[in-house]
Amino acid sequence: MTTLARTSAVGRSRIARPLQYLALLAYMCFLAFPLLFLLTTAFKTPRELQSPDAGILPERLDWTNFTAAIDKADLFTAAGNSLLVAVTTTAIVTAVALPAAYALVRFRTRLRAFATGWILLSQVFPFILIIIPLFLLLKDIGLVNTLLGLVLVYAVWSLPFSLWMLQGYVAAIPVELEEASAVDGAGRLKTLARIVLPLLAPGLVATSLFTFINSWNEFFFALVLIQDPDMQTLPLALARFVGAEGQVQLGQLAAAALLACLPSLVFFLLIQKRLTAGLLSGAVKG
Amino acid sequence: MSAVRSRRREGRDAWLLVLPALLPVMLFSVYPLVYGVLLGFTDAAAGLGVETHFNGLDNYVELAGNELFWKSFKIGLVWAFSVTILQFLASLGLALLLNLDLRLRWLARTLALIPWAMPPVIIAIMWQLMLNPSYGPVNRALDAIGLPGGVNWLGEAAVALPVVIVVGVWAGMPQTTVTLLAGLQSVPAELNEAAAIDGASTWRRFWHVTLPALRPIITAITTLDLIWNFNSFALVFVLTAGGPGGTTMLPSLFAYNEAFRYGHFGYAAAMGNVMVVLIGAFLILYLRAQSRRRFQ
Amino acid sequence: MRTRNSVVAGVLALPLALTGCSAFGVGGGDDEGGAVTLTFQSLAFQDTTIAATQEIVDAWNEANPDVQVELVQGSWDNVHDQLVTQFQGGTAPDVIHDESADIMGFAEQGYLADLAPHLSDEVTAAVSEDVWKSVTTGDGAVVAAPTLLQSYVVFANTAAFADAGAALPTGDTLPWDDFQSLAAQLTAGETYGVGWGLQQPTATVMNLSLGFDGTYFTGTGADAAIEVGDAELAVPERIHAMAYDDASLDPVSLTQSGSDVLPGFFDGKYAMYVAGNYIAQQITESAPEGFEWAVLPPLAGTAGAVQAANPQTMSVAAESEHVEEAAAFIDFFMQADHQAALAQGDWLIPASGEARAAVAEQTAGENGWEAILASGEGLSAAPFQSAVDYPQWKDQYATPALQQYLADEITLDQLRDQLTDGWSELG
Repeated sequence: MTTLARTSAVGRSRIARPLQYLALLAYMCFLAFPLLFLLTTAFKTPRELQSPDAGILPERLDWTNFTAAIDKADLFTAAGNSLLVAVTTTAIVTAVALPAAYALVRFRTRLRAFATGWILLSQVFPFILIIIPLFLLLKDIGLVNTLLGLVLVYAVWSLPFSLWMLQGYVAAIPVELEEASAVDGAGRLKTLARIVLPLLAPGLVATSLFTFINSWNEFFFALVLIQDPDMQTLPLALARFVGAEGQVQLGQLAAAALLACLPSLVFFLLIQKRLTAGLLSGAVKG
Repeated sequence: MSAVRSRRREGRDAWLLVLPALLPVMLFSVYPLVYGVLLGFTDAAAGLGVETHFNGLDNYVELAGNELFWKSFKIGLVWAFSVTILQFLASLGLALLLNLDLRLRWLARTLALIPWAMPPVIIAIMWQLMLNPSYGPVNRALDAIGLPGGVNWLGEAAVALPVVIVVGVWAGMPQTTVTLLAGLQSVPAELNEAAAIDGASTWRRFWHVTLPALRPIITAITTLDLIWNFNSFALVFVLTAGGPGGTTMLPSLFAYNEAFRYGHFGYAAAMGNVMVVLIGAFLILYLRAQSRRRFQ
Repeated sequence: MRTRNSVVAGVLALPLALTGCSAFGVGGGDDEGGAVTLTFQSLAFQDTTIAATQEIVDAWNEANPDVQVELVQGSWDNVHDQLVTQFQGGTAPDVIHDESADIMGFAEQGYLADLAPHLSDEVTAAVSEDVWKSVTTGDGAVVAAPTLLQSYVVFANTAAFADAGAALPTGDTLPWDDFQSLAAQLTAGETYGVGWGLQQPTATVMNLSLGFDGTYFTGTGADAAIEVGDAELAVPERIHAMAYDDASLDPVSLTQSGSDVLPGFFDGKYAMYVAGNYIAQQITESAPEGFEWAVLPPLAGTAGAVQAANPQTMSVAAESEHVEEAAAFIDFFMQADHQAALAQGDWLIPASGEARAAVAEQTAGENGWEAILASGEGLSAAPFQSAVDYPQWKDQYATPALQQYLADEITLDQLRDQLTDGWSELG
């Protein structure tokens, strides 16, 4: 069936396909040019960066910005801290949000109204105004200057998004699929594992990516919570390259930023296949 | 099994599944939120040993007459709706493309994520350089193809907001795209295939099969995008800091200034509450309308 | 059922289990065995200044085994928000590096300790009375030691001067009238006489207005009243005239930040470039090969070459448990040789006269240092610095109004009205 649908689609779109590639290329130029910008900037000397006549490409591959940046801001320690925080946060959020989202959609209880209210309130109220009460709270329970404090805050504040989106993905799964499985005599857990989870995989990837990147990039709360240089996360380290009144060590900043955004991209490169739910036909037969 | 008993059991199951989320959420989210909301009814201000008193609706009376705040609120609405709508349309297009069986799809998917993976500091600095009126690549490119390239993108009151909106769309596209892409993948392929066999055209299949199946996800992401955009802070803060002449002063920038720069915590929290009530009311109407459509 | 319960329990236990994990930095308190440890957050940005700061701290730690200073690196961009939050939570660093314009608000709120009783006579005498005023509150508390100062200076592309047949101005000061006619003389074809990044115009305008006796405010603290007369408007009016009447100042540059305008200066698009004196560092580092430049004598209005002083500051948190020790460290930090080293790293002007002399000697006045140090002599406290609602007035009224005036969208009268009405709106 799949092959049939695909061949007919391809047959119809002999003209459409080149257009699709063209559109995709346009999107990529719009979205991905910063990578080019970072790559070229990171290899330029301060003199080249200030020169109005300099070409797009650096004169030569000069690694000084990278070595200087790593020396100056202790990027590896910061990257280690960021990785620890982002991975732990993502794990917690996924483990908590998945069952909760399922329950909120499939069981119509009073919890749902509460959860919806909380989710919306937590997103609508400007986070910037929550920082101080949150900081005071963490101070009272002794979590200032700890990565655990960051993890807890990031987890709790990423949860509304994950819950909200996962509810959308669960709601998009026809209940009939689950009922069919139940009629076949499968228990609820088995139904969850064999029908719901595979269908939810793309949604889980999307939400965990969200949590990962947001924890990886969060700046403001880390700024107030973390003082110890050994505890600083990458965004804090990057702030070292920006001075007063728009002074920036651009070459080093670009080098550091390039190193900082690569992990997110690699992480996504590895999991993006999961965004393709090739497991669907199996689910229906089950 | 009677219906009542199954209902009760379902309720208990739901509690068990939600419980792990509940405790930390109560402590780290509900508590500071309630604290923040209550602060909006006090005269809290920065200062060592300064006492805080409840002052009822005083903040709101004062706020009602604060023209600058309402001006900023209007800017916030224009910004949030423009960015959300444009972002949604652009992202839907990209998600549909990325969902096709194109070559190098894995690469395109990863590259599409770049604005999101970039640290915000870099994004702002980069766009400032791109939009530099005399030496920025944008104006140079416009010059090269014979268009007037002298526009002062971030410095002219008339163009600054539209330009910032474009940057906002750019910065938020990856999240919306990934979300919609994941949604497209959850649309059971059988529905599409069945429609294809019935001979429905690509466009009709998209309109009558894909889009309705995607509706819960579209509702969820557009709602969140709207809220986030309305509350958006960091990007505009570094790009223009609200200038030129206050034309890009988003309400969250305004509230931030009130709290962090002038130390009026109570008054700033009151602004937060007003934003919650007005945006919340709109969202409830929107979500109602969407869920009614879903059940029809 | 059983399975699900244990899963739930496991999930619940996860964050708790992490509490024990030292990787998250929980626990692990550092006992120094009786010694006092002070936290010092430095905002040093240039690599040389960071190194100089570290050296000073090391020297102190060596000489004072009982009072150890721990250096923490902060950044100018975010220090204000960080301090607001930390003061609220009582976790601010003991020794705080910031600038006068930012800390006077904190001082008003009671977060900074009075250093007057703790500073040595030597340090007190080295800094002028005028500069001390910029870190003294209405009730006479000295809430910081002023370290380094910046002034606005005019950088000149000497080749452009030669091409236009203009002589480089000499003398002790550069009167505004001369500056304006020079700019007109240097304007030709694609070249403007002046490029001036005034995206955030208020601080620059207020600081330079002092050269015309433009004080903007009378009275101090909560009683400050605004007065916008001809003296106050002289600087914006002249800039406006250069941009729109003489066309000798690029109006586009007025909407950009100082660093955005710099490439145009290197490119020969601007013969003169007005900016903070510290830009000299960036110019020496990144100007194209063979680029010839100089710093012109300080700009002088009718009241002389006076600018408002906004020194970098070293303060002690009022809630610090070791105010006395922290103040002693600041006293050490203020020593002339230390200040001279820091000033050269950041290309700023030491507040201490002794340190200024040391810098003059060590640099031999090269690379514009002579003119830069000269501009430091005219730095003085200004009334706006002690007006309580100044930051809010600046953001909500002065900056938008000045931006609009400098973009030629409103008239001088409208500017005056917006500045005055804005202040009464806040009162």
